[in-house]
Amino acid sequence: MLYQEELMDHYKYPRNNKSVPNPDFAISELNPSCGDRIAIEGKIYENIITDLGFSGSGCVISQATASMLTEHCLGKSVDVALSLSKNDIIAMVGLEMGPTRLKCALLSLQVLQHGLLSLQENKGAL
Amino acid sequence: MDILKIRRDFPIFSQKPGPEKSEKSGSLIYFDTSATAQKPAIVIEALSRFYTSMNANVHRGLYELGESSTTHYEAVREKVAHFINAKHTEEIIFTKGTTEGINFIAASWAEQHLKQDDEIVLTQAEHHANLLPWQRVAQKTGAKLVFIPLDLETYTFKNPENYITSRTKLLAVTYSSNVLGEVWDHTQQELETLIAQAHSVGARVLIDAAQAVMHRRIDIQQLNPDFLVFSGHKMMGPMGVGVLYIKQALHDDVQPYQVGGSMVFSVSFEGASWAKSPQKFEAGTPPIAEVFGLGAAIEYINKNINFDELQKHEARLCSVLIDGLEKLEQISGIRIMGNKNWLRQHGHLVSFAIQGVHPHDIASYLGAKNIAVRAGHHCAQPLVNLLEVDALLRVSFGVYNTITEVEILLQELTDIVMVLRTQASTQSLSKNLNKILEL
Repeated sequence: MLYQEELMDHYKYPRNNKSVPNPDFAISELNPSCGDRIAIEGKIYENIITDLGFSGSGCVISQATASMLTEHCLGKSVDVALSLSKNDIIAMVGLEMGPTRLKCALLSLQVLQHGLLSLQENKGAL
Repeated sequence: MDILKIRRDFPIFSQKPGPEKSEKSGSLIYFDTSATAQKPAIVIEALSRFYTSMNANVHRGLYELGESSTTHYEAVREKVAHFINAKHTEEIIFTKGTTEGINFIAASWAEQHLKQDDEIVLTQAEHHANLLPWQRVAQKTGAKLVFIPLDLETYTFKNPENYITSRTKLLAVTYSSNVLGEVWDHTQQELETLIAQAHSVGARVLIDAAQAVMHRRIDIQQLNPDFLVFSGHKMMGPMGVGVLYIKQALHDDVQPYQVGGSMVFSVSFEGASWAKSPQKFEAGTPPIAEVFGLGAAIEYINKNINFDELQKHEARLCSVLIDGLEKLEQISGIRIMGNKNWLRQHGHLVSFAIQGVHPHDIASYLGAKNIAVRAGHHCAQPLVNLLEVDALLRVSFGVYNTITEVEILLQELTDIVMVLRTQASTQSLSKNLNKILEL
């Protein structure tokens, strides 16, 4: 089997594959080397992530990680989401990946963290 | 041409499959020759032989080793000239590869000779290496880029002759596309005709032969470009060496790309005058061992490969693959990108996309089985966007590939498509997010 069952489950039945009404942040990014795209929208209330949705296109790893990540972060604080690292994602995917595949796996974390940071910056500016 | 015998000349195919914990079972099936060709032992040994018993700089030492190094280096230049049927050995310049060759002409000829509103004619099927240098020339000189459009029904160019006008100063096109394979009608000598037409309006012509050099006999005098570039590693030579052909009549018009050692006629504290080509165009220590290795690759090709038979062999592999993909189409939507007739006649690669399955996943799956294919946008993003896919798979052939390997690939493709295909297309982007993506 190519990927672990849990990963395939997230790919075939993605969680939080939706758009969020009146999101506090909406951001999307592209992995230019392979064309994977991930967009994430979310709502934050008192520093807690209360809603998250993603959409995108790409390979199993990029899409399944987005599903896993949104599921993992929902209900957690912004700080917890911002503190997630490359190693957390590798553990989540449960797969040894070369440098190219790793980019696919890290895309959604990058998008989510950029979204959360932009929200913090906007608030700081107010 | 005995393919199985030739295959034994390539040590990589007799290596043990990957690490123990991987699923790799058989020996390597290599379908990525368009990215780089595998090397016969004779080329690998040439590199080692050079450093073991011949290492000395060229055009410098008067001791025997230095003289011998120079003699061997210049002998390869002659071999290359003969290989592509150039009229003069001095027309062969060693570079580090195709990309450097094109940047060379962009910086050392085009920037000085093009001006506001001049036109550079390219096709929509160029590799980034034959697009970005011209974008930069256009920015610096005010020249315009004109693209010969690709017909997406037939994967041919629509009336390319209409794009050559009195404003055309340069035609810079690929000989063979790294994504689509054959893009010119060779039975009609379409490319030769276009080159002649460019010359008739006083334009210069650069041909990117990176993808062609390993698959068809290049005849400079028949093709008649002003500049032609290719890489050594795509023709079984070492990485880090390439060839830039500059027609002799243009040797004074082209400036040195780099200045420094071994390219001067005389130097004072205030200025310098250049040596004649090829020294003028090869500043510094060239990749001597790699050039020596390239010479070994050409010798290998001359001795073992008949280009007519090679083309037939590769075209047959393309046919078997296309037939198999068309059968596979019954279980999943498959789009082959390229002119199928030409690929069947004289192709060497097949690019395709499978509906609902990302090329990365297929390539990873195949990789785990020790089958190497390329997935992605193949350094041709504008073309891939034009084809309206995110990425595609490319299977490219070399002299060492067999029909059995293609059959194994087709079986694996059938298996993976069954596993990965998702019925519900849950991954479409919402409209507002799509907008954000169109930066």
